[in-house]
Amino acid sequence: MNNVLKRTDVLQAADDLRRRTLASIARPLDRLIYLASTRDYNTGFYYHDGLASRFAQEVVCEALADCHREAFQELVGASLENLVAQMEAYIASTQTSPHDFVVAWKKLEPYRVAVPVDSDTLTSDFLFSNFRIALAILQARLNTPRTAAPASSPHRLLAQ
Amino acid sequence: MIQLVLYLVLGAAFLASLYAFARRSASAEGGAQIILRARQALSALQADLLPPRVFERIFANGDYRYIISAGDPALTAMFLSERRKIALSWVEQIRRQIVSLREFHLGSARLHSQLSPRVEARLAFEFFTLLCVCRFLQLALYLRGPYAAPRMVGRVVAVAARVCATSEEAMGFLSAVKVDRLAGKSAHKITAL
Repeated sequence: MNNVLKRTDVLQAADDLRRRTLASIARPLDRLIYLASTRDYNTGFYYHDGLASRFAQEVVCEALADCHREAFQELVGASLENLVAQMEAYIASTQTSPHDFVVAWKKLEPYRVAVPVDSDTLTSDFLFSNFRIALAILQARLNTPRTAAPASSPHRLLAQ
Repeated sequence: MIQLVLYLVLGAAFLASLYAFARRSASAEGGAQIILRARQALSALQADLLPPRVFERIFANGDYRYIISAGDPALTAMFLSERRKIALSWVEQIRRQIVSLREFHLGSARLHSQLSPRVEARLAFEFFTLLCVCRFLQLALYLRGPYAAPRMVGRVVAVAARVCATSEEAMGFLSAVKVDRLAGKSAHKITAL
């Protein structure tokens, strides 16, 4: 009975999170990074002050984990073209130089710590592989001289 | 001299068969481990490896067309190499889980479930087919890349799904609570909360 009640609370908290916080974060990549940032790397527990004022900490933790898994699955399901577009938009939103961003992500591979802890190895490896390919595409775009290319081409100019 | 070698070979074969027999009649704990592994294999296959969202993404033609449209051989080569690694890993994981399920059927399933000889024979044939197709698929992916054998991918998924369905039926005697007990966990700790 207690489990059922808690599950209801978790669903309610997750719904609250989707409506208030995540609704303003349109891209799955941004949501994944945001939700991963709410997780304590030492314990694996998620924290969110706003939700914690309305729900028990364990409920908040589970709701954030649910939303994190959801964003992860959405990103895994995204096509390579879509992932590249999301990364491009993400770079623009961070106001970092695209070159610095690509170099840092290729070296540090920060996406490795952004996946949910219980995601299976194959799916995580698939996403990491897609990130590597997307970064190679972005780098190729940065190295390509400014010429007109079709919008869907991987060599389309990177938004500055 | 030839006779001596022959007797030695026969003796070694006899010892090997005794050893194999001893391993087959394993302890109850060993049997429990096989059941537990089979249950985990079944859930890994059904949740992580066989759903269309997984293999359709790995072998997605759209991604390949997108890369090809760049006309950059280095990018295409990198893409094909990355996808080949993932595709090989996918087949290898399926093969491993299928081997776990086969172990279960060769040992514990016969003691606990009532599969008819006809179903058992069909299952044995499907295990054999599946493991062979997995090996052929691995070879094709390794030699010719991730888009070499789409029909073989479909065949692996279809036969593996049938094997999973029969295994699930055979594991009907084993509830989730029993599995947790086998794993040494609390029977009440089924969900995270």
